[in-house]
Order: sequence, then structure tokens, then C-alpha cells
Amino acid sequence: MPRLPKLPAPPLPAALQAPPPRPGEGNGKAGPLEQGKQAGITVVDWVDERTSLSGAGRWLLFRKVPKGTNWFYTLGSATMFAFLSQAVTGVFLAMYYRPDPAGGAYESIRHVTNEVFLGQFVRGMHKWGSSVMVILIFLHMGRTFFFGAYKYPRELNWVIGVVLLILTMVMSFTGYLLPFDQRAYWATIVGVNINGTGPLVGPYLSDFLRGGGEFGATTLSRFYAIHMLLIPGLLAALIGFHLYLVAKLGTTAPPWSKAKERPELLEAEV
Amino acid sequence: MSDKHAKHKSKYTADRMIPGAFEGETVTRRRFMTGTAHTAGGIAAAAFALPALGFALGPIFKKTPHTWQTVGPASSFSEDNYVPVVVTLTPGIGEAGTSTAYVRKFNPKIDTDPYDASTPYIAISSRCAHLGCPVRWVDAAERFICPCHGGVYDLLGKRVGGPPVRPLDRFYTRVEGESVQIGPRFSVNSELRRFSPRDPGEPLDGIGQYLYPSRPTERKL
Amino acid sequence: MNQREKEEYLRDYSILKAQGKPFFPYAVAKDGAMACVVMVVIIAMSLVLGAELGPKANPTTTTYVPRPEWYFFFLFEVLRVVKPPSLVPLATIGVPTLGMILLFLLPFYDRSPERRPERRPIATITGIAVIGAMAFLTYSGANAGSPTAIELKTPQTVLNAGGQTLAEYEAGKKVVAQSGCLACHKIGENGNDGPGPQLTNIGARLERQGIARTLVNPTAPMPSFKNLPPKKFNAVVAFLTQLK
Repeated sequence: MPRLPKLPAPPLPAALQAPPPRPGEGNGKAGPLEQGKQAGITVVDWVDERTSLSGAGRWLLFRKVPKGTNWFYTLGSATMFAFLSQAVTGVFLAMYYRPDPAGGAYESIRHVTNEVFLGQFVRGMHKWGSSVMVILIFLHMGRTFFFGAYKYPRELNWVIGVVLLILTMVMSFTGYLLPFDQRAYWATIVGVNINGTGPLVGPYLSDFLRGGGEFGATTLSRFYAIHMLLIPGLLAALIGFHLYLVAKLGTTAPPWSKAKERPELLEAEV
Repeated sequence: MSDKHAKHKSKYTADRMIPGAFEGETVTRRRFMTGTAHTAGGIAAAAFALPALGFALGPIFKKTPHTWQTVGPASSFSEDNYVPVVVTLTPGIGEAGTSTAYVRKFNPKIDTDPYDASTPYIAISSRCAHLGCPVRWVDAAERFICPCHGGVYDLLGKRVGGPPVRPLDRFYTRVEGESVQIGPRFSVNSELRRFSPRDPGEPLDGIGQYLYPSRPTERKL
Repeated sequence: MNQREKEEYLRDYSILKAQGKPFFPYAVAKDGAMACVVMVVIIAMSLVLGAELGPKANPTTTTYVPRPEWYFFFLFEVLRVVKPPSLVPLATIGVPTLGMILLFLLPFYDRSPERRPERRPIATITGIAVIGAMAFLTYSGANAGSPTAIELKTPQTVLNAGGQTLAEYEAGKKVVAQSGCLACHKIGENGNDGPGPQLTNIGARLERQGIARTLVNPTAPMPSFKNLPPKKFNAVVAFLTQLK
């Protein structure tokens, strides 16, 4: 098998690097310790030989970010992080939740809140995480707007961002009903009826959301499925595309930074 | 490559720079294969998407059965004040499928509207006609008041103030022996003309009844 | 942006990018620090504020006052303020849809190459105005009092008077709150501003006799309160007279 070029060695300080073996030492055979050290690198090499992912990783991680980017530029990744936190806490809440309007839903949330170990904490993280995510997504949008970062060539990324904002609001709205307390129920009634005021399609839309003409047995499971499967799937896919475009088009430079010709280029002109 | 393909070299593919075209291919053949790819893909996608969509949309076209439920003896309702009663809108899900209706005996002095002449009892839904919040009957002011966005209705359920777009919905009523029964809900416009039940926020005056059509799930009795 | 401006931007950007630092570890370090801040905030909120669970959903309620989560307060306030029924679909569907479309199409109607906020005054001012409006609506939505309760501080004069005056004031406050006055009148932060006039200072505008007369013989659409028991009626008049 032909030897493939190795990944570049990690930039360890000289003191930590293992000295090269002296000639004649070990008879050219690797000892078990040395083999163990090599195993990790071999596995990475093996995977990379079959996937060529290291190129993509390098393209994503070692791309240059323009000078002058500041803390405002962390709002996007912070939003994504809040989404990840929501996803993880949500998965574990789903393990306890029962979408049963006849009393099971409220009872299961009461059980999580009052009896499950760390239940109130995790539910609190999910509940307040949604507020934090909404704030962060608005701040991120504000930064993009005021810095003019939605202009050429990033128009499509703005459009995807608006879709992500709407999906986040839909997540908030559908998540609302699940605890099935008074606030949840009435907010959902009002929200569904708001959809119903759209001319011509409105009445059918609210029937679709409720799964019938009145709040019924499947309304809660409908909202649960939308909240837990449909929208998170769309969100994750669109976040991936959003990130791909950020990496491809590059992080915007702050609007105030001006491109200066590098001195050596100016000298070359002389 | 001086075999027979050289003679049949298409003048449509190679020189037209169609990506992926190979020598000797004709446009017809290529179009056929392209069409096959699109059609097969479309059929395969439709095969799972359409049933799933129909499954999700099904409840929109399913008619809700009408039921009559007893809400109390005739003696428990008076002519000039409302009594709240609990009605079940969706059976089988306990409290979550219920709602409140305000019931009062027909009073010829107040209910002068011809549409109400045949109704033994007036039953008014507690769902605000603005966006569906629970209205409360305030005896002293003789008003229905919505706590959400400030809708106010009079004794007949007609809008007095605030944003509601039509009067409060009503229920059909009948008397069976000694007890009062409540039937399906219906909506009324500002002249108390009856319509099939609509969702809150959907006006029924003028063009409204056409902009917000009745739905297959909820038809008039 | 025309072709020349596009190429100019791409050229400037490629220079800026070439002078920048690699994403890893420089930007990632910042992002990681921010992620830690986000997590600390979420965990602190969860620990301090907990996960409150309200009373079980009860569709038959006639006393519950529904209020949305804070990030829908702006919409809630719009729905409260838009009174004419003919404008309701505009407030529920029209304005939000229009806002969404304007947001979607932003890069397609704002096509100038300028990116500095101080050199695009229209965009910057519009942005600030929208944020201000949303903040104002959220604030007023959050402070919208229930139309079935009055959260007014008892004035010092009444407190000093004590005895009969104070008792009548408190009783009147309760009757007013329960009698639906707030459906059409605003008292302090509670109630709807219209169709009736504000009652926060009614005592300064009308004499005791005037208030009583209006309650018995009001102008339509206000209902007459002559059927109230005399004790309650007097309490209402006493309470309203004290609103100065």
C-alpha cells in the first residue's frame, strides 16, 4: 500500500516533543508504547483516507477572518449554541413528557418539575433557554442589519436567517402549549385564532393546526410533533446551510475597516 | 475510433457542449433519459409525500358529529340574567374539551330579533369573538367583558366596544321534558343572522362571510 | 450595486481577509467564551427563576386573564390597541405578514454598496425606530393591567382619613373592578382606554353629584348602574370621587 502524506504534526513546544530514535535503537521495530502512540494517528489517517474530511475541516477552521471582527461577531455562534442547549435539554424532557390533553401532559410536567432529580433545573434551562435564544437571534439580526452584512454577496444568507428567525418564533409558539397550564392553553387558543384571521385560507389553517374544528384529542400531539420533529429538523438543516455560506463567503469585515494596499504591493508599483 | 460510431456522430450533442454527453448519443435519447429521471424521482417522492400530506390534512375535511347535552332543569334559568354552564365540545379528553356557555331564558322584551323567535333559551359562548379568550358576564354592568384585548359585549352578545369583529357565538337550545339541552355552536353577524360556526376573529358582515368561508369540520345544523 | 461596485467589494474584502487571522483558534476562542457566557446566563436564570408551572389548563374559566410570554408582548399590545373591528385582520395577519415580507426582501430593495451605518441614515434610522417601537410595545404590553382588577395605590388623604372613608374607598374599588367599568375606562394602568373617558382623575373633573348622576343616567353605550344595591352604589361614587 502506498504511504500517504501524513497530517501536519501538532505545534508542540520543542521540550514536549519526543526525541527522534537514535540509530540502532529498538532495531527499527516499534515497542508497544510507541505503537499505542501511533494508533490514534493511524485511526485518523484511516478515516481521512476514506473520507477526505481533513480538507473540509481545514477549509472550515483555518479560513481567515478579516481584521477588526469583535465581540458582536460571536452573536451568531452564541445563538447556535443556545439552539444546541435547547436540543439537548429538549430531548431529555421528551423522555418524561406525555402529550395527553386529558391530564397526562400537565401531570407529566408536574412530575418533571417537582419529583424528577434535577427536573426543575432542566425544564428551567429549556424554558429560559428559549428566551435567551430569541434575544440572541434578534441581536444577531440587529448586528447584521446595522453593519450592512446582508448586502452582496450575502443576500441569500440573510433570507435563510429570516427563515431561521421565523422558525424560532414557531418553536416558541408550539412549545408554549406543551406544559398545558392555563397560560399555555389560552396562548395557544389565541395564537391559532390569529392564524384563522387570514382571509380565505385562515379557517383551514387553524383547522389544520388544531386537527379539527375545535381543540381536540390530537391538537396537543400535533403541536408536540411540530415542536419536536418538524421544526428542529428544518432548523438544524438551515443552520448547516447558513454556516456553510458563512464559511464560503467569509465573515464580513466591520463596515469601518478599509482595505489598505499592502506596502510591498505599493513598492512594486514604483 | 474509426468504427461505425464515427459515422453516426450526433450533430446535436457533442457540438452543443451538453455536459456529460457521450459520443454517438442523440438528443432524443438524452431527453428520454432525463425525462425518466425526473418522472421516476417525482413518482417516488409523491408516493410518500402525498399520503403523508393527506394524513396530516385529513382532519380538515372530517365533519364533527353534532351532539345535544343536558345542562340543567328549566327552572334553573331566568329571563334577565345569565347562568354559566359547562358544555363539552370535544368528548373524550376530559376538561380540555369543555367550554363555558352563558344561558338565559328567551325574553320577548329583549330578544326582539326575528331569528331568535323560535329559540326557547339563549345560550351564548364564552369565547371572545376577537381571538377566543374567555369572556366573563358582569352582572352589574350587564356586559360580557374579555380580559385579553378589551372586547365588550352587551346583553345580547353584540359588540359594544373593543376589537371584536362580530357578536359572541351562540348555541342551539331545545327543551327535552324538564331539562334544557344545548346543541351545536353557530356564529351570528351584527344583525344576529345565523351562520355556520366560525373561528374567532373572522367577521361575518358584508364581504366577511365570503372571505372566511365555512369549513367542512363545522357546518350549520 | 452594479458590476463595478461588486468587483470592488470583492477585491477589498479579499485584501481584508488575507490580512486577517485564522478562524481557529482566534475567532473560535471568542465564540467559546461567548458560549460559556450564554450557558452561565441560562443556568443562572434556571436556578434563580425556576420553572414555574401555572394552574392546569381550564377552558371553562371565566376569571383567568391570559397573557403571553414576554417575546409576544409586542403583538399582544398591537392587538389590544387596534380597536376598530374592520382593522383587526390587519393587526393579526396584515402587519406581521408585511413586516416579514419587508424583512425577507431587505437585501433586494436596499441595494446600495454603502455599509457604514452612519452613511446609510434611512436604514439606520428605520432600524432604530423599529427597535424602539418593538421595545415600547413590549413595555406597554408587559404593563397592561387586567380589566378585572385595579392596582391603584390608595391616596395618602384617604389613608389619613381612615375609618369610614377608607372602608368605602376599598369597597368601591372592588365593586368598580368587578362591575366591568374597566372594559371601557382606564383607571391607572388597568382597563382599556376607550370608548369611555379615562377615570384616573375623574374626581377632579366631576363633583360627587355629577358622578352619581352619570352612573344612573349615562350616555349610550354605557349601561345604567341604578340597579346596584345602594351600599355598593355609594361605595362606587365614594371611590370615583377620590380619584384625583
